[in-house]
Amino acid sequence: MLLELNDVSLSLKRDGKYVKILDGISLQVKKGETVGIVGESGCGKSMTALSVMRLLPEKAKLEGVIQLDHEDITSYSKRKMEKIRGNKMAMIFQDPLTSLNPLHTVGRQIEETLILHTDLNKEQRKRRVIELLNEVGLPRADEIASEYPHQLSGGMRQRIMIAVAMACNPSLLICDEPTTALDVTVQAQILDLMNHLKDVNEMGIIMITHDLGVVAEVCDRVVVMYAGKIVEQANVKELFINPKHPYTKGLLESIPKLGVKKAKLGSIPGMVPSPDKMPKGCRFYERCSSAMEVCKGTTPPMSSVGEEHTAACWLYEEKGGEMNGSSGSEGLEATLHN
Amino acid sequence: MALLEVKDLKQHFTIKKGFLGEKKKVKAVDGVSFHIEQGETLGIVGESGCGKSSLGRTILQLIKPTSGDIFFGGKNITHLPRKEMKELRKDMQIVFQDPYASLNPRSTVRAILETPLIVHGVGNRQERRKVVEGLIDKIGIRKDQLDRFPHEFSGGQRQRIGIARALTLNPKLIIADEPVSALDVSVQSQVLNLMVDLQKELNLSYMFISHDLSVVQHISDRVAVMYLGKIVEIADVEELYRNPLHPYTKALLTAVPIPDPTKKRDRIILQGDLPSPINPPTGCAFHTRCPVATPECKEESPELREKAMGHWASCIHVHHEQSEKTKINIS
Repeated sequence: MLLELNDVSLSLKRDGKYVKILDGISLQVKKGETVGIVGESGCGKSMTALSVMRLLPEKAKLEGVIQLDHEDITSYSKRKMEKIRGNKMAMIFQDPLTSLNPLHTVGRQIEETLILHTDLNKEQRKRRVIELLNEVGLPRADEIASEYPHQLSGGMRQRIMIAVAMACNPSLLICDEPTTALDVTVQAQILDLMNHLKDVNEMGIIMITHDLGVVAEVCDRVVVMYAGKIVEQANVKELFINPKHPYTKGLLESIPKLGVKKAKLGSIPGMVPSPDKMPKGCRFYERCSSAMEVCKGTTPPMSSVGEEHTAACWLYEEKGGEMNGSSGSEGLEATLHN
Repeated sequence: MALLEVKDLKQHFTIKKGFLGEKKKVKAVDGVSFHIEQGETLGIVGESGCGKSSLGRTILQLIKPTSGDIFFGGKNITHLPRKEMKELRKDMQIVFQDPYASLNPRSTVRAILETPLIVHGVGNRQERRKVVEGLIDKIGIRKDQLDRFPHEFSGGQRQRIGIARALTLNPKLIIADEPVSALDVSVQSQVLNLMVDLQKELNLSYMFISHDLSVVQHISDRVAVMYLGKIVEIADVEELYRNPLHPYTKALLTAVPIPDPTKKRDRIILQGDLPSPINPPTGCAFHTRCPVATPECKEESPELREKAMGHWASCIHVHHEQSEKTKINIS
């Protein structure tokens, strides 16, 4: 296991009091695997990534255990984190223009990572920068290395971001909406590049996105988040063919699909609750079409609903709130299938 | 007779560039012709910088066209005097992309919706009140929420308020410029469904501008694909998505990630980025990225021609008989 999050919670200080943004997140990423985290704005998908990178605001309260390569990094000091950030794990952000420094050439920005984390000499670093630029598919690498971010197009900037992230061959790469700001034809290029790099380098990738199309194309496994919690986890085919949680179902039904023309799209009524007014019980309760009495008061536990497929929903637990009801859930499932 | 007809419309912006102030032109819209029927939705798709938003704004004459003609209900409205144009604006309205920036934060929803009525001198206070209350009922916002401010609503609600505002004067045509791009998927579908319902109820025509090919497919009757200021292909929605003719449309369609992991497609990956519209390539503007370009494409600027019934494309390599062979399976 490359990365393991165990019961991770995060609280941020807002207006003098702590508000829980993430609540009991547990997930795993294996070597060479791409795990997608999907959900709508405000569900906590980016905060999950930032918690792993420990790029959190002041006074953030992080609980639980995050393990990278079987080592607990939650207790790491600031300095120790800096050593692995950009080295063992790297991150790509949504907007390449604001993530790059406008005052330095892109070559220098790639080199900076190498200065920090390797003992290559100047000559070797220069060569590695050119090598990286070639790897991410940029032509005229030596010219581009001496250009500034504003001289490049959006797609090229995102390639530079990838080059920066790849500089030290990280074992974990976190991508936060890497193609959202790009046009579709450029997005296709970048996704293609990322798939290629993954195969070559055997990285584990966390892909954060709201685009279920992107998930279907690049991910092996998917984690669906809603209001700061994980509601469903499965491998990508299983999730799309056999979604279990009403929220996942609702999401899948509300996207128009290319090649399929429907008169009406499905939709989820209402909106995401705000973190300081989280409802008790299931957080999706108010918007859920299959809500029951038990959902209102008691948080549903994660239940196994298939092979390596879990969902947090009372539909798959013994009704009436028996907490240790894995045997009961099977019984209920059987009746659901009939 | 078509509700809206646009003939050879051009919108060239002059921009200053260089130290000596030499002037350059951006051909944002460069010779575009199409029509929209009453009750019909025309989708306009293209990547950023292709001129789709400029096209919408030019039709509404929020910016004056450089040349070309716009006919609305059979009447040429390109050179109307101000007063007549104002009268005409009742019939054509716009919905913007960003529901956070397009509503005045200091006005209540009631005031936002009433303003167009006041500007156009429609009815007295009581009648206006009735119109406003009728409208919010249609878009699913409660009466007691009318005196709230935009920030008290979610993105989806705000976009619905934006749509209601466009509807206050009973328009015939609504130009929707990326109306759902800023919204989350579950909310996006609410707004799309609302737009479809309103269209049926009020017999509206939409010009639906978007970069999202799946959304455009969902809502449109016909679709036009734009590249660097020109329409490169236009056809009925089913025809266009099933049988795209222009190499750009094909690439665009295969580039869209499909939310179905069981389907693997042959993807046409275009090289490079969109060229700058300040200095577009000669001949066919797409030839620099086109997988089937030949030397002729550099020289010859292809015209939009009808390649099959109601299916127009501008590519010298697409012929009538080819259309069957070039079918690709996008689903």
